Amino acid sequence: MRLQLDLVAVLPVLAPVLAAVLVLLVDVAVPGRRSPHLWLGAAGLLGGAAAALPGVWQPAGDTRQGLCLPDGWCAYAADDLTSMLQLGALLGALVVLVLAWPEWSAAGSGGGVEPTGRAPVVTALLLTATAGVVAVPAAGDLGSLLVSLELATLPTVVLVALVRTTWAAPRRARAVDGAVALLTTSLVSFGLLALGAGFWAAATGSTRFAGAASVDHPELLVLAAVLLVAGLAFKVSAVPFHAWTPITYAAAPLPVTTYLATVSKVAALGGLVVVVRALGTVEGTTLLAIALLAAASMTVGNLVALTQQDAVRLLAWSTVAQAGWVLLPLATLSSRAASAAGSYLVVYLVATLLAFVVVVAVAGTVRHGPVEDPAGPAAATALAAHRGLLRARPLLAVPLGLALLTLAGLPPAVAGVVAKVVALRPVLGDETWWLAVVAALNVALGIAVYLRWLVVLASSEGSPQGEGPAAAAGAGGDTDVRTTVEATTGPAVDVRLWVLVGLLTALLVLGSIVPLGTI
Amino acid sequence: MSGVRADLLALVPDLGAWWYALALAPLLLAAAMLLVVGQWPTRPGHRVVHRTSLVAATVSAIGVAGVAVDRPVVEMSWIPSLGVWFSLRPDGLSVPLLLLTAVVGVVATALHLHPDREVRTVAVDLEDSDPTAPIPVVKGIDVPGLATYHACLQLVLLGALLAFLAGDALLFFVGFELVLVPMWILISRYGDPTSDRDGAAVRFLLVTVVGSSLVLLGILAVATATGSTDLQVWAAQGGSALGRSSQLAVAAALLVGFALKVPVFPLHTWLPWVHATAPTAGSVLLAAVLLKLGTYGMVRLVVPVVPEGFTAWAPLLAGLGVTGIVWASLVCLVERDLKRLIAWSSIAHLGFVVLGIASGTQAGLQAALFGNVAHGLISALLFVVVGGLKHRWGGADLSHGHAALREVTPHLGLALVVGMAASSGLPGLAGFWGEIGSVLAAWSPSPDRPDGWFRGFAVVAAVGGALAVAYTVRVLREVWFGERLEPRIPDAVLTERTALRLLGVLVLLLGLVPTLLLSITAPFVEGVLVR
Repeated sequence: MRLQLDLVAVLPVLAPVLAAVLVLLVDVAVPGRRSPHLWLGAAGLLGGAAAALPGVWQPAGDTRQGLCLPDGWCAYAADDLTSMLQLGALLGALVVLVLAWPEWSAAGSGGGVEPTGRAPVVTALLLTATAGVVAVPAAGDLGSLLVSLELATLPTVVLVALVRTTWAAPRRARAVDGAVALLTTSLVSFGLLALGAGFWAAATGSTRFAGAASVDHPELLVLAAVLLVAGLAFKVSAVPFHAWTPITYAAAPLPVTTYLATVSKVAALGGLVVVVRALGTVEGTTLLAIALLAAASMTVGNLVALTQQDAVRLLAWSTVAQAGWVLLPLATLSSRAASAAGSYLVVYLVATLLAFVVVVAVAGTVRHGPVEDPAGPAAATALAAHRGLLRARPLLAVPLGLALLTLAGLPPAVAGVVAKVVALRPVLGDETWWLAVVAALNVALGIAVYLRWLVVLASSEGSPQGEGPAAAAGAGGDTDVRTTVEATTGPAVDVRLWVLVGLLTALLVLGSIVPLGTI
Repeated sequence: MSGVRADLLALVPDLGAWWYALALAPLLLAAAMLLVVGQWPTRPGHRVVHRTSLVAATVSAIGVAGVAVDRPVVEMSWIPSLGVWFSLRPDGLSVPLLLLTAVVGVVATALHLHPDREVRTVAVDLEDSDPTAPIPVVKGIDVPGLATYHACLQLVLLGALLAFLAGDALLFFVGFELVLVPMWILISRYGDPTSDRDGAAVRFLLVTVVGSSLVLLGILAVATATGSTDLQVWAAQGGSALGRSSQLAVAAALLVGFALKVPVFPLHTWLPWVHATAPTAGSVLLAAVLLKLGTYGMVRLVVPVVPEGFTAWAPLLAGLGVTGIVWASLVCLVERDLKRLIAWSSIAHLGFVVLGIASGTQAGLQAALFGNVAHGLISALLFVVVGGLKHRWGGADLSHGHAALREVTPHLGLALVVGMAASSGLPGLAGFWGEIGSVLAAWSPSPDRPDGWFRGFAVVAAVGGALAVAYTVRVLREVWFGERLEPRIPDAVLTERTALRLLGVLVLLLGLVPTLLLSITAPFVEGVLVR
């Protein structure tokens, strides 16, 4: 048996892996340097993205295949949807890398090298995790799926734990807590996945995804699918598998949180798409498990997000709610559902990345401001730190507002509206009315969530009418933090962040004028 | 006569689709410009902002008039993967509402935004009233955030025009939702500071968003069944693509969604509060334009698209409509806040509109569409008066002593008399035709409606009409009539006088020559309903 490699097709996965190896080699060659690794990492991610780009425009039905056996079956097959997800993941990882740049290339305590040799390690971890994420949606069999999923998950655990040594000890301990929470859940989810894979193999007699339609025991296949979905639901942080999300998000360094909230979701969704497509030949069936997960995620995520006082925690819970939206179309198990979920995810990816970039920028102005905050780094991401941002820094506040409106699905962010439409359409095509009504009510709930933040952004500080809208919206009580943004104009925001904000905003505006629809 | 009309129409330049650029672009440009300018460290003077906004609204109104005459059609593929077209297609249903939006838009942008003021908390009685109490400045002064305020007004107008023009369901929905965020800002930032304006704004946003999500569900259900989002295709198919149960479900989702917007009893509770809080121009736009989106949606997206489903729900809808008429009229007899009172009377008038739509006859639909436009003009007129009074009085509470308008402010007084008279359905004014038509249509509804019920509804609605006269008399007795001259308040300023005259003339014109409007809507109505 001869394996046909087709390395060009696999390049989106290979490029980050190669870059990771190179990063480690460079570290051996020139120890102590901090920025070459980051440049290499960026080149690897860009190379991967460039390799994924041609796949986006291939006609529907075509796939770019690699690692093929002589009988025509391939372990790696990327169609247009998969390529789009890969592209999103690679570019998202690039954004995270740029976000993390100042922190990862920073000097250790005393101005010397970080004793852990962080820069090469974290860069390599980011690259390998991204390689895993990129491989997941293209997986052709259970083995590749499981391996690439673990590849996408385990490095992130280390990324969460590996914070700067200059951080205060309790803060670092918290990061380890977050990493442990992530590790535990990922192990449990791997267990479920393995069990599901076992059932799948038992039901179909093969570990390949193709040919699931002709099975003797469809009920066994459905059981396998439910287990696989449950395992993947951990990663997408759908209720009731979401418990790790708020802990880890709040504990991890901000760029890593961004990575978990955006790029990691691509892996989870990619896995779901693979499973759903394999089942999809049984057209017209609704997988109740996914429908329940979607409904519960939206509702719980939005309800808890309503009470959060911290921007990162709010985004964490909003991720849970948005996971519900990503799952929503998949409940119908059709091929159209997969592309609907993918399209929603792309919009979510851009909007969430933009929101995180702005949060990082605002946190930077607060943290390095002349008023050193006694409340520590947590205050830098508090919602209250955004008070009056529209007045103080309109160029940050307007993109953030656009991102939040996109997540809420409210014009003028038409991209968000269209994404919601795309996600709802398969559900209504199936006439699953209860799910549609739950989703519709969650549109309103979600708007209430993002509105709280928007109110804080738009509130005019020091207005004579008392506390302004923010206090009524429940964001009061942080008066000690209030001075942070408005007291001074603060330090200038990094040029790199401005570029990211500009690019992501341009993407959202473009998506609002000429919406993508479904991929 | 018709020769003169043809000659006049021939004078209108044939700009085709450029009319749309003239109607929509000024609003968009002005909104963008004002939003940017509002963030500059050195803000422009209030006159510049105000005039920019007024000029944009006026140019847009000219464009809308051109659209109404020419009725050009624009079709561009917008979201190919969803089969959505950017199509603008005005017809007999939308043209009156477009014109209404344009007129009300000019009025709303012309009005001055009043700054927040200290509020008179103690009741002014004759004994302790101070004749030399400072007279509030009514002319526009530099209010903080004036540029943003005007930008929001422009965006509301843009969204409403887009929704009325849309020939595609998804585009309609985008316009429908586009008005929400600016309206929310208008209420929460520029509303009455003495009431809970954030609560009102959030309530407005959440209620309408729940409504619009239900509308979205309905739209998507029809879109998946018919495979198109083109409203013309939907109307042509007449629901044949959906089974009976689906039609019932779709109609329910759409009707509840639009009923929240209209609002129909018992989903009306948000309206009085929001009206009492919103700034004057916000109230004018809300009553005259935004509520119309609800009734427009019913006529556009429910009646022709899911006829069977609508027939099934029509008796319930009509029943709720007449309940709303009586309920709101009774509230009007005791309500102490003048602005809230006008809001309640809005609910009553829209009850007549809903009753007309539900009757299922051509006469009923005609009456409803007429009542719709008439209510837009009348409520805009009344809110201009009442908003001005609220500012001058320092609150709209009727239990405080006020000088009789007839004596101290003849202009405002006359406008209030005209508005309240039209609102009570006096023949010769615009309110009459819509209400009488709805009641008559309910008396002889379409054959597939339960006769007995609808006759009952007609009687109840007539009783509600009588109640309207009662609360009109009450308002005029408390506000307009009397011998009190203290505390004096200034009369209408130039912008208010011009706005009131414009609206008053239109109210009178529609009352005297109803065929002016009926002839525009007739072709649409005949196309939708057989009888």
